[in-house]
Amino acid sequence: MTAISYPLAETTLANGLRVVVSEDHTVPNVAVNLWVDVGSRHESPGRTGFAHLFEHLMFQGSRNVASGEHFSALMEQGARLNATTWFDRTNYFETVPTGALHLALWLEADRHGHLLDALTQENLDNQRDVVKEEKRQRYDNMPYGSALIDVYAAAFPEGHPYHHPTIGSMDDLDAATLDDVHAFFRAHYGPNNTVLTLVGDLTPEEGFAAAKTYFGPLPAIELQRRERLPQLEPLATPVRVDRAGDVPNDRLYVAFRMPVDATPDYLAASIAVDVVAGLASSRLMRRLVRTDETATSVGGWTMGLVDGVGLGAITADVAEGADPDEVEAAICDELTRFIDEGPDEAELESVVADTERSWLSALASIEERADHISHHALLTGDPAYVNTFVDRLRAITADEVRAAAAVWLVPSSRAVVRYLARDEAEVAA
Amino acid sequence: MSQVTRPTVAPPAPWHFPAATTHDLPNGLHLVTYDVPGQYVVSVRLAVPVPLDSEPTLREGVGTIMARTLDEGTETCTAEEFARLLERKGVGYGAGVSDAGLSLDLDVVKGNLEPALDLLRQILTEPVFREAEVARHVRSRLAEIEQERSIGANRSMLEFVRTFYAPTDRSSRPTGGSPETVSTITRDDVAAHYRQHVTASGSTLVVAGDLGGLDVPALVDAALADWPSGPARARFIERSATHANHRSRVVLVDRPGAVQSDFLVGAPGPDRSAPGGWAPYPVLAYVLGGSPTARLDAVLREEKGYTYGTRSSFRPKRGGGSFLTFGSVRADVTAESIGIIVDILEGGRDGFSEKEVRAGVDYIAKTAPGRFATADAIADEAVGMAMDGRTTAFTTANLHDLVTVDRDRVTDAYERFTRLAGVGSGARGAGWTIVVVGDASQHREPLEALGLGEVTVVTDD
Repeated sequence: MTAISYPLAETTLANGLRVVVSEDHTVPNVAVNLWVDVGSRHESPGRTGFAHLFEHLMFQGSRNVASGEHFSALMEQGARLNATTWFDRTNYFETVPTGALHLALWLEADRHGHLLDALTQENLDNQRDVVKEEKRQRYDNMPYGSALIDVYAAAFPEGHPYHHPTIGSMDDLDAATLDDVHAFFRAHYGPNNTVLTLVGDLTPEEGFAAAKTYFGPLPAIELQRRERLPQLEPLATPVRVDRAGDVPNDRLYVAFRMPVDATPDYLAASIAVDVVAGLASSRLMRRLVRTDETATSVGGWTMGLVDGVGLGAITADVAEGADPDEVEAAICDELTRFIDEGPDEAELESVVADTERSWLSALASIEERADHISHHALLTGDPAYVNTFVDRLRAITADEVRAAAAVWLVPSSRAVVRYLARDEAEVAA
Repeated sequence: MSQVTRPTVAPPAPWHFPAATTHDLPNGLHLVTYDVPGQYVVSVRLAVPVPLDSEPTLREGVGTIMARTLDEGTETCTAEEFARLLERKGVGYGAGVSDAGLSLDLDVVKGNLEPALDLLRQILTEPVFREAEVARHVRSRLAEIEQERSIGANRSMLEFVRTFYAPTDRSSRPTGGSPETVSTITRDDVAAHYRQHVTASGSTLVVAGDLGGLDVPALVDAALADWPSGPARARFIERSATHANHRSRVVLVDRPGAVQSDFLVGAPGPDRSAPGGWAPYPVLAYVLGGSPTARLDAVLREEKGYTYGTRSSFRPKRGGGSFLTFGSVRADVTAESIGIIVDILEGGRDGFSEKEVRAGVDYIAKTAPGRFATADAIADEAVGMAMDGRTTAFTTANLHDLVTVDRDRVTDAYERFTRLAGVGSGARGAGWTIVVVGDASQHREPLEALGLGEVTVVTDD
């Protein structure tokens, strides 16, 4: 059993806003964390990147708040704040001294309720430019920066909500209009599509009352939501994408479709990925980096998603002079062996110990704790997941891990994205 | 709908950094502990004052390779087995080198602190540096050098230190060594560096977390009392910077076709012992480039949309420091942006408003309780202070001084910084070292036309 259990209290306001409070008086701060149930998976063709662009506009003023004032008013009270957009959600957050909690909620309610009053073409054009620079900085002008974009497109079929990246395309960003922003806000931003989590120096009663004061007046919106998609099966045959370019060394991404987030199958498959490639003592680390020395580093990770599929990947930086085909063959070989054998006791113990420490490290700060609580309140309906995750992981048996790998990590179901250093690619061509 | 009135804010209560308890081991190891209730992952940080310039010139990077191979096996354990031992106890481990010394980090759940300290003992006293492991880490480092050079922001920093510091100053070269030096490093070099420097005397161990029910001094005594003391030495490395004679200039690292330009604009800055106190400097950096509404981003991001964001910060070292402004801008506005940056930074001579200063003071002071709320943040601050020859009493005293910082003190700090850096002393751009990583064929002439000084183009292979 995990000995640590954070207190959780929940309520839902009359307008549908779900509020979760976790009391913790160790620091005179409160983490305010909002998850809105809209991400790039809700975008329509020709409008990719819109959820994220919209998130930027949330800092450009609202009915009673001037452009930029959200940042300045909170920062001068000692708030650390930002927002992020991802496939499944958009997240707004600030950690404030306890005395600034009400100001933070007032500012959040103003923009979550009344953004459109302050929206201008000038703001849209400016933030469109800023987002383009974000895309150039993080993706276009970064070695391997577009690799994950290729992975999504390779692993998920055309038209699937996760086929396109959250950052979107330059053309679609250019096409965004003020009307789009209005329609997007009206369709997705409402209390009944949002979770508010407050963690820190307050009681549940104080948190609920403050939430009601500031968010209570916001009207519910009419939500038109489709059901989440059914589970996507593993790829039937391997998919390959090769990119030749200005990268320092060959890098492989061997990706797989996964079960949806937080299910026992997802946890079992994620343990398999850890054992094969994620741990510092993983099988591929031992084979490729320590023994064969055909890779300089190996990694393994999974991405929990909700719309019918998740993603897992094994990455390898190919050592100079080594053959990327051989590295890929070795990865497939180790996966096949793992599917045959399953994990041993020491491997399972390592995954649990490593996960427990990193999970408790994440929950150690009130802001990350609030973020995980919002995540599960919004997407899995179970904020108490923060308290049960490690035990759930520990309950998975070696047989379940092996069985999950046998479904989800079969080499013939892989999507391979290779970034190849130009010299070699030219020789190969 | 009724309008909810904008709430007022109650001022926060005074705050101090968590209290430290210290304990000295006979071998010279100094233990500093912070009991932080509710922090169930304990952070352990070890600082060993190994000077960067103790590395043989032809083997620069040997300290980094040593740091990375300390946990790669002991007499009784292979590297693989040792990695598994760490992982089975859930120990997050890392080691690295900076010009302040060697540092080792362990994070572990409270219940596993004792075995984690025993693993730390093995790392410190029983490494064997097998040939194969050292050779592997040499190859990894060589690959890493190529990766670092390929990233614009990293490339700009490499070029900056090369331009900014005198060639005789070790800081002018990469901490982890260059391909020429790293490729010659052998296990004997690593073992010799280890024997000479990884000793208890002068070292500081920080343990922070929920320590209730634990006798940390006893656990540390049990684990590390037999770590050899080595020759007596100070707890921090006394050093000062030597700048290049010709550091005030523009260097353009050619990246044909780059869709953005990474930039780094820097000048010599103060250390924490600056006359007038350290507290005004972070405020100054905040006002100039510390937030989306700071002077730089108000123009470059929010007005013009040229950048995702720029940042300014003072980087104090034990002796001397630097003031750096960095970020990336759209390629076709590179020179214009550099001109704007220099003008905004030099515009500090026209003074600062009380409102700007107050916003900076309030942000830095009022975020402190949250910034230092977790065991790892507390331990990082404590070990950083130790390597700087200070304790976290400085952190608290500086925060108390910070709230007294006003417009006059920030203006004085700016004046002192610019005078010592030679900024504003002559032509526009004087005193700054400016590095741009971008397409030279597009940016060279516009950068020259700015009149900020000589523009040198550097081409990578």
